[in-house]
Amino acid sequence: MLTTQAELTRREQVAPEHYLLTFVCPPIAEQAQPGQFVHLRVTKGLEPLLRRPFSVMNVNLSQGSFQLLIQAVGQGTQILAQAQAGAVFDLLGPVGQPFPLPDGAEQVLLVAGGVGVAPLIFVAERLKEQPAPCYVQGLFGAQTEDYLCCWLEFSTRCDEFATATEDGSAGEKGLVTDLLDKQLDRGGVDRVYACGPVAMLAEVARQCQEQQVPCWVSVEQRMACGVGACLGCVIPTRCEGSQHYQRVCREGPVFAAAQIDWEAMSPELDRC
Amino acid sequence: MLVASGTFGFGEEYAELVDISRLGGICTKAVTLAPRAGNPQPRIWETPAGMLNAIGWQNPGLEVFLEEKLPTLRQYEVPIIVNVAGETRAEYVELAARLDNVAAISALELNISCPNVEHGGLQFGVAPDLTEDLVGAVRQVTDHVLITKLSPNVTDVSAIAQAAVAGGSDALSLINTLVGMAIDVEGRRPALANITGGLSGPAIRPVAVRMTWQVAEAVDVPIIGMGGITTAEDALQFIMAGASAVAVGTANFVEPTAALSVIDGLIEYCRHHNVARITDLTGAAHSGRQ
Repeated sequence: MLTTQAELTRREQVAPEHYLLTFVCPPIAEQAQPGQFVHLRVTKGLEPLLRRPFSVMNVNLSQGSFQLLIQAVGQGTQILAQAQAGAVFDLLGPVGQPFPLPDGAEQVLLVAGGVGVAPLIFVAERLKEQPAPCYVQGLFGAQTEDYLCCWLEFSTRCDEFATATEDGSAGEKGLVTDLLDKQLDRGGVDRVYACGPVAMLAEVARQCQEQQVPCWVSVEQRMACGVGACLGCVIPTRCEGSQHYQRVCREGPVFAAAQIDWEAMSPELDRC
Repeated sequence: MLVASGTFGFGEEYAELVDISRLGGICTKAVTLAPRAGNPQPRIWETPAGMLNAIGWQNPGLEVFLEEKLPTLRQYEVPIIVNVAGETRAEYVELAARLDNVAAISALELNISCPNVEHGGLQFGVAPDLTEDLVGAVRQVTDHVLITKLSPNVTDVSAIAQAAVAGGSDALSLINTLVGMAIDVEGRRPALANITGGLSGPAIRPVAVRMTWQVAEAVDVPIIGMGGITTAEDALQFIMAGASAVAVGTANFVEPTAALSVIDGLIEYCRHHNVARITDLTGAAHSGRQ
């Protein structure tokens, strides 16, 4: 992890309130692993005060760049959504534990909900680049077709790909976890990686436990320091039956789904 | 130049980002006798130029502190100030007693000002008689330098400061966080699971400077000033109000090297104004007032 600066070189709106930002920052491009995030200071001033964490969506080693997919929902993300190319931001990164990628060729299922697609695009890319490439199945859910952000970037990195929308405007009508249910029933899945709203992740975890498929999830939490000092970003986890809190910025953001105390995970977290 | 308790973990969290040896010392995260899980989520909430927190003393407890955290902390070769916290008078005393023969520690910081726990903490820091009794009891069991960390959530901070000194406190640190609250209007509920939390960051600085000023007029022991310091100018305000040392807190979360930047700025100020030692400026505003 290092403190560095990144120059915004491109900003593109990819859905209502959703933006794809490209930054040039060679050390982050080189060091970031799928699932890790950067902790970005959106202003030199005091408003907003705290940095904002964003999962790396992909890297381009030859250009020394990386991309972030952001949803402009609050003060910090709205500043980023309006930033102009050439703007330079302080950032801390790469932060956190990446997804533990398999050594050999496995059948890997990726479950993305909304803006949670970002780290899974990076995962899919690395899974296909391995000496023994994995067979990658991608499932992507969103409210409507418009919100299937960067679906092309995701689908082109997958061997199989399916979408679900709540209104049926693209793919299956329903939830992405309905697709997961069918896919797990078919069997053959060696592991599952997921990122999205807490309610979705809890259901993914439940299904994977039921089918005894190893599953890892990337979770979000309000965060202050990003280095493990403030203990603000913890989530409830279970260890040998007893509950304790672990830091999203250090032990996470990727956790084994079985480790998380889903009953204690509040769906309110989704409004972060 | 210190880093404030709760904002720098046990040092190790910042080791790869900050040249810790340049600091004047580290105030550790609050240490309690037994491990504590801390409060449920949400624990933090951003506010204008500040943040609310209600962590609830999450820490691994005294034994793990001594066996795992302290050896790592010692490697940074800076003074270690252990922030000690308890639910009862007996817990504070036992903690202090068990830390008394630990030579690696430079001082104890008595946490009688945390607003985010059900028992202990702030309860001991809002009534002068309780403060004096607790500090006195801890004083009897330790030869370490004893610093009492004061709360701003009191009617008369000078009275608490005087009580801490009467009890035997060698120095005072102030301020801890201000009790605050935010409402999550979408959820129509308190933003924090603890309902209230401690407000920190630049937003509280004028309150902290004012209290540093008042305490400096009330007692003769050294004061460690803190509360929203992010720049050298901020630190100078505390020093001129009467602080002999300062601590950076929430700014560490924003910029890991914040304390080092403040040090650089203070050196620059001293050069520019021909000040031989930064402590020559302690209380300077008291003599300079109109």
